[in-house]
Amino acid sequence: MKKFSQLAIPYIVWAALMILLPLLLIILYAFTKPGNEFIQFSLTLEHFAKFFTDPDFLLVLWRSLVIAFKTTLICGVLGYPVAYFIARSNDRVRNILILAITLPMWINMLVRTYAWIGLLSDGGILQKLLGLLGFGEPKLLYTEGAVLLGMVYNFIPFMILQINTSLCKLDHSLLEASADLGADRFQTFWRVVFPLSLPGVVSGITLVFLPAVSSFFIPKLLGGGQYFLIGNVIENQFITVGEWNFGSAISLIMVMVMMLSMYAVRRLDRSGGREEDRL
Amino acid sequence: MKKQKRPIGKFLMGLTLLFFYLPIVFMIVFSFNDSKSLTHFSGFSTMWYTKMFQSRDMMESLYTTIIIAVLATAISTFVGTITAIGLSKSRRLVRRLVLQLNDFPIMNPEIVTAIGLMLLFITLRIERGFVTMLLAHIAFCIPYVILSVMPRLRALDPNLADAAMDLGATPWQSLFMVLVPQLMPGIVSGALIAFTMSFDDFIISYFVTGGGVKNLSIMVYTMSKRVNPSINAMSTLVVVLITLVLVAINLEPLLRARREKKK
Amino acid sequence: MKKFCALVMALVLTVLSAGCGGSSGASGEGEFAGQTLRVYNWGEYTGENLIANFEAATGARVVMDIFDSNEQMYIKVANGEAYDILVPSDYMIERLIQEDMLQPLDKSKLDCMDLLVDEVKGLPYDPNNDYSVPYFWGTVGIVYDTEKVSLEDLEAEGFNIFLNEKYKGDIYLYDSERDSFMMALKALGCSMNTSDQAELEAAYNWLLQCVNTMEPEIVTDEIIDSMAQGRKALGLIYSGDAAYIMSENPQMGFFMPESGTNLWSDAMVIPKNAENPDLAHAFINYVSSYEGAMDNSSYVGYTSPNKEVMEELSGEGGDYEGINAYTPQRDNANDEVFAYDEETRKVISELFSKVKIAASNAG
Repeated sequence: MKKFSQLAIPYIVWAALMILLPLLLIILYAFTKPGNEFIQFSLTLEHFAKFFTDPDFLLVLWRSLVIAFKTTLICGVLGYPVAYFIARSNDRVRNILILAITLPMWINMLVRTYAWIGLLSDGGILQKLLGLLGFGEPKLLYTEGAVLLGMVYNFIPFMILQINTSLCKLDHSLLEASADLGADRFQTFWRVVFPLSLPGVVSGITLVFLPAVSSFFIPKLLGGGQYFLIGNVIENQFITVGEWNFGSAISLIMVMVMMLSMYAVRRLDRSGGREEDRL
Repeated sequence: MKKQKRPIGKFLMGLTLLFFYLPIVFMIVFSFNDSKSLTHFSGFSTMWYTKMFQSRDMMESLYTTIIIAVLATAISTFVGTITAIGLSKSRRLVRRLVLQLNDFPIMNPEIVTAIGLMLLFITLRIERGFVTMLLAHIAFCIPYVILSVMPRLRALDPNLADAAMDLGATPWQSLFMVLVPQLMPGIVSGALIAFTMSFDDFIISYFVTGGGVKNLSIMVYTMSKRVNPSINAMSTLVVVLITLVLVAINLEPLLRARREKKK
Repeated sequence: MKKFCALVMALVLTVLSAGCGGSSGASGEGEFAGQTLRVYNWGEYTGENLIANFEAATGARVVMDIFDSNEQMYIKVANGEAYDILVPSDYMIERLIQEDMLQPLDKSKLDCMDLLVDEVKGLPYDPNNDYSVPYFWGTVGIVYDTEKVSLEDLEAEGFNIFLNEKYKGDIYLYDSERDSFMMALKALGCSMNTSDQAELEAAYNWLLQCVNTMEPEIVTDEIIDSMAQGRKALGLIYSGDAAYIMSENPQMGFFMPESGTNLWSDAMVIPKNAENPDLAHAFINYVSSYEGAMDNSSYVGYTSPNKEVMEELSGEGGDYEGINAYTPQRDNANDEVFAYDEETRKVISELFSKVKIAASNAG
């Protein structure tokens, strides 16, 4: 029987090579000076200093966090009622709706983002529609609004599915108990259903916020070449500027910031959970 | 609370579905446009499809995407399943460590995984191209397979394999004829996730490819600068293929159930 | 699940056969049958049938990869990516020669040098054309909508028109570090090859002012279709793209400031690590021949180095008759050719990535 444990050995080797080593390389690059050979490297903190002393870089990071936050907020506010609706439908309808929501996710993300370019471009349908509704004919493509739209479009299914899963797991007898105890529908929702669905909301937030912070092709396709988020800065460092050490340092900073924000969200979840205990 | 009409909910749901499908429908419509414009529909034509099929670059990118997705799915499903079984019999410390490591590609932003792998291939002087793209795809697919097989393993009786061997099965037989069939639902869902992840991937492929090897995403990314409705035609083709596959997967259990009923 | 697998396999087979059908032309007869040529070229830079015709003529297969900027190309090549042909610009060729990354051309295998116009031969980056054969050449100028922009403004302001708030939100900049700095330096009356820190700093501030006050869009090839549709009033542009735009939309004009501009040429070179230099020489010959050059230049709009093709296309009845962007102006003493200097490159590269970030933060 012990033999079976050996089945994991190839993957352990693989993971060390393909998962651990790349991360170590990024760290190595982030803390060394450019251009040195493999054997002799000189450690430095200059890349981090460069990032943190330049208000422009900090502003890009801040803007990436803000737009990711907005995306998450919109996904949550729009996604929750939709997930709630799906969870309350009967089995057959629910399966169909879930399929309808997952189907676009199967279609390549780039293709889906590209599809918006025609809709948003000057003289396109959406601009004309807004014109007819009396909003003038605002520029849509290559604006921050377009980037936000693209992000919500790409990431909201994750939010809906996560919240839906946690709503479906909800024990219906709890709702009946709450009604029996005299709570009206809103009270039942706010004091029973919503707190119990929080784990789904939190994992939804994780699945939306993290990719939104680091995304780089949505801003590039819908925001245009002059729209930079932190992901674009990293891409630019690697693909055009060639400063891999600095690029690695920025990625490390980005990961750290993400971990911190996720830690904060989990804390929030835990304090929400405590409230639920009190109930 | 039981059966309500829920007009607001229905309205919201309708809007959401409109939001999801509007760009896709729009893209399909304009793939049949007979001019180059992405904003004015001037007439029906299939010229962009002809152009697409004639463009070797586009067909090759579709081909690369599918081959890589199929290979990466097959390999990562096999390795992931085997590994999950192995881990379930390993010491706890080993299991915990490997699962932690396994979480990195899932939790890390894709761009970090991408530059890590790029640095790795460059450091090891591996020529970038089809092989590196495939290796990278396998690397980010396996964790999802392990993640979806592990819970099924936990639910399994740990003595199942022993019992099979007591009854005279060789270890391999007990593995593939007893354990694997029990894990099938987890393996299938792992394979499906792996397939989508690979089919969908842009960021990692973009950083690790070379030698002119492009997948569909890279193709769209590099071509998106000029107005080119052939991209719409290509996208429509992908939408149709994916819908067919998905419908097949979802109809399969229904059909099987009906057939069994007939028997 | 069997059905699903069968479906996937069927799918793969369909595509496989489609893929083979498409490339059957390449596996035919010819001197180089069965060989592969790897080309690393700019996006939107080859004629419609160039590759197919070359494949039919030689039996070889061409794999083309594309780049947006010289810098992007350099990074890939410097990291060991093996191509047989690169098409970088002048200053980048100079850099590649300095860093010993190119192999000298075997002139006995080239039969095209006599077909080319004198102006693109023997340029300072490669005085004897030991390493490079020109692919396209031209200038950098301003593409403008003649209905929205007055010629007087252009003549009075030159590149400084990109700071004129009359056109705020109505301009395109080009995402190229050297040409953006060229524009700024020329606007300030400096040489575009300056290595003077103060001048570079001034150019940087000029660009910062532009992105902070003018709401430009920073683009590459997007400019071609956008200007052909008249989306904006002004844009910094390569002459060849302007020629294409003007042939599509007669309302557009091309202007080159008196302060001078960049006389550039992009040329084919063979890197040291090329796997098939013989085929690469054949490709250079084909691209430079009348047939190849005609296909390239008439489709893309850039000026051909092939004398006959250039004269035919710009002459009576040619595709680019009367379009000033197609024929490079060669009489302004302020025009220059880029030179390469490692220190300056680093400074410009760093500053330009900050300009882009500032542009993004300003928006």
